[in-house]
Amino acid sequence: MNQSRVIHLDGTQLPSRDLIGNKAWSVGRMLNLGLRVPPAFVLPISECRAYLDSSKVLDDALWADVLTGIAYLESVSGRRFGDPDSPLLVSVRSGAAVSMPGMMDTVLNLGVTDEVEAGLARRTGNPEYARDTHARFCHQYGDIVYKADLDTYAAGHTADDIRVMVLDDTDLEIPRDPFEQLRGAICAVFNSWDSARAKAYRRHWGIEDAGGTSVTVQAMVFGNLGEKSGTGVLFTRNPLSGAALPYGEWLPGGQGDDVVGGTHAVQDMVTLEKSMPDAHAELMGWSTTLEREHGEVQDIEFTIEEGRLYLLQTRTAKRSPRAAVRIAVELVDEGVITAEEAVVRVTPEQVHTVLLPRLDTADARQRPIASGEPACPGVACGIGVVDPDEAERRSTEGESIVLVRPNTSPNDVHGMIAAVAVVTDLGGSTSHAAVVTRALGRPSVVGVGDGVAASLEGKLLTVDGDGGHVYEGEMPMVETRVEDDPWLSRFAEWAAELSPMTVVTSSTELESDVFDLDLAGFGIGHEGSVIDADGLQRALAGKAAVRGSLMSTEQGMKAALDAGVTYVIARPVLPLQLLAIRIQRGL
Amino acid sequence: MPDIDFLAIHGLAVRKAAGPAAVADLLGVDEEAVTAAFDALGEQGLVAGARGMFMVAPTGQAWLAEQYPVRYADARQDGALTAAYERFERVNTDLLALFTDWQTIPAGTTRVPNDHSDKEYDRGIIDRLGNLHEKAERVVGRCAESEARLSRYLARLESAYDKVLAGDLDYVSGVRIDSYHTVWFELHEDLLRMLGRTRQE
Repeated sequence: MNQSRVIHLDGTQLPSRDLIGNKAWSVGRMLNLGLRVPPAFVLPISECRAYLDSSKVLDDALWADVLTGIAYLESVSGRRFGDPDSPLLVSVRSGAAVSMPGMMDTVLNLGVTDEVEAGLARRTGNPEYARDTHARFCHQYGDIVYKADLDTYAAGHTADDIRVMVLDDTDLEIPRDPFEQLRGAICAVFNSWDSARAKAYRRHWGIEDAGGTSVTVQAMVFGNLGEKSGTGVLFTRNPLSGAALPYGEWLPGGQGDDVVGGTHAVQDMVTLEKSMPDAHAELMGWSTTLEREHGEVQDIEFTIEEGRLYLLQTRTAKRSPRAAVRIAVELVDEGVITAEEAVVRVTPEQVHTVLLPRLDTADARQRPIASGEPACPGVACGIGVVDPDEAERRSTEGESIVLVRPNTSPNDVHGMIAAVAVVTDLGGSTSHAAVVTRALGRPSVVGVGDGVAASLEGKLLTVDGDGGHVYEGEMPMVETRVEDDPWLSRFAEWAAELSPMTVVTSSTELESDVFDLDLAGFGIGHEGSVIDADGLQRALAGKAAVRGSLMSTEQGMKAALDAGVTYVIARPVLPLQLLAIRIQRGL
Repeated sequence: MPDIDFLAIHGLAVRKAAGPAAVADLLGVDEEAVTAAFDALGEQGLVAGARGMFMVAPTGQAWLAEQYPVRYADARQDGALTAAYERFERVNTDLLALFTDWQTIPAGTTRVPNDHSDKEYDRGIIDRLGNLHEKAERVVGRCAESEARLSRYLARLESAYDKVLAGDLDYVSGVRIDSYHTVWFELHEDLLRMLGRTRQE
């Protein structure tokens, strides 16, 4: 018998990333660690090449191997593809060694048909879920495989509604046979390697066209099969505070990303521990394994199906800037990473954010005069002005202005640039106003309510873009001091030791004269303005001590290091030390 | 008044303050034609300018407000265009959510400003932008079937998207440049003015 051209990820081997792509590799790695993951098989990258170089049809021999792969998923899961009574549903994912725009991403729930929908309704006792799963599948298949022009999925449609919309737009019918669904999705993934966008991306980044993408086919597990099922996310440490305690959310009866019908509320890990102590203990054990293996905090997606735990995905957890510092320090204490690794795990921007002055909310006498959605973080204080032209004029005259608008149009952008903060009556955190203020870094609060902005005109305002509040008058601010925080202070010691540049807050102790780049005409100008690199190099030559806004940029710090500058004067010092360390290490 | 004069002041109103070159780029016409139009409009006191930068004067704003329902009477009755506009609003919702995801990144249970150090995360967003751009192409194409000059926005969106693909990340949502968001925001304003709708945000 010839060797199969598809690879069963069964934990006995781990083919290289170059062969099977990142996603399949990550699934394979969890399996090799002995963790339970829904069974999967993968068509390696070489098959994409073979497919594209031939007539763009899956040849019979490969298709036979795919069917063997499905049989493998059936034997492990105990379900059958297309069987209404015990249906196997699968996901299909692309996986190039380097991910790129234009590649087809993921289609879920392949294998659902009218009969399977009816079977799922019986099995779960939840016809609404069965209908929704079928409709979502059709929407995703139409959207991703057929590129149909569909609106964002909204609950309420039936699968047949969506089939009609897809047919109207593309003249293509979504396959009703599970195996045809699978064949179509696999071909679409392969074809997407040659999509115009993917080609454009590769051209821009010098990636060869000759590569390809793998296809991972994986069994789906169900978080909605009764009381002993559900889905959740676990962070191996608290992503907000950084405390070394697992933090998670658990949705009993939930399936995938969906909060089924909104009838279930998200619960914490203690609830899971009480209801299913074994699954909980297993999850804790596995999460420790994954964190140790990756040497980094993990964000783990899991599903429990009738009491049985499955891991779906693990990745490095996103965390708050404050948590990033604490976690890096504690991983050093635990012997997982070195101090040198720790200082490059936290970016200068994260430390900058941690050290920003905060609003002193200890004074409870102050009540906000307006509240809405926080759209861009930060705190700023100024006079409320409604007219953007007036805001621009008064700001040019040196006043700090808070632009207060009913809504925002492109006609207001100059006023937003001139203002120190922005408040709007209408809109949410994804409004144009929110997008513009974030791009500008202006603290903003949106959606404070109809007519409220006008009432703020002429008042001295403090805008709290973190909490979403507006206060009257100038609110007191508190400095964050490195020495007050046990993790930050140890982190700062390491950074000071490792930094190739000595950064100090004041020049009084220095014997040399301080060269001020801003005064010499090398300041940070408007966005996009270019500093003359040669001129900068000449200006810095032979200088021992330098200050200036440009030193917080990569270009400025690099030039100073190259020129052999000994001291940089700046406050706070920590972000610049981290920047210097990263530049020295080519990060 | 000649059509080009009306279009020139309309284009200027969308941009707020601009030189003839930028307005010509927005409308897809010759710069000389816009310069001549601004001269004529300046004499009527409808636009004001200094050192090559122009703005719509208050009288010009009032005049435009009177003109829109007349000039775009047919457009406002055009079922195909208003249907395309409804679709535009839906793509708009998705695009604004995408810009938000671009600018902020999940940090535990909250979101913090995206410092763009996570290339994988950014690539995912650029990927979504590619998909939405395909939707945008269709919806702007439909709008342009009723008002041909709107296809100029398509070229500008395409140009912003190409710059993003080439690694110029400011072109997703940067403010002082013709980023994807800047162009989309202007297109939104243009459509609102044409159709006499009010902004809901």
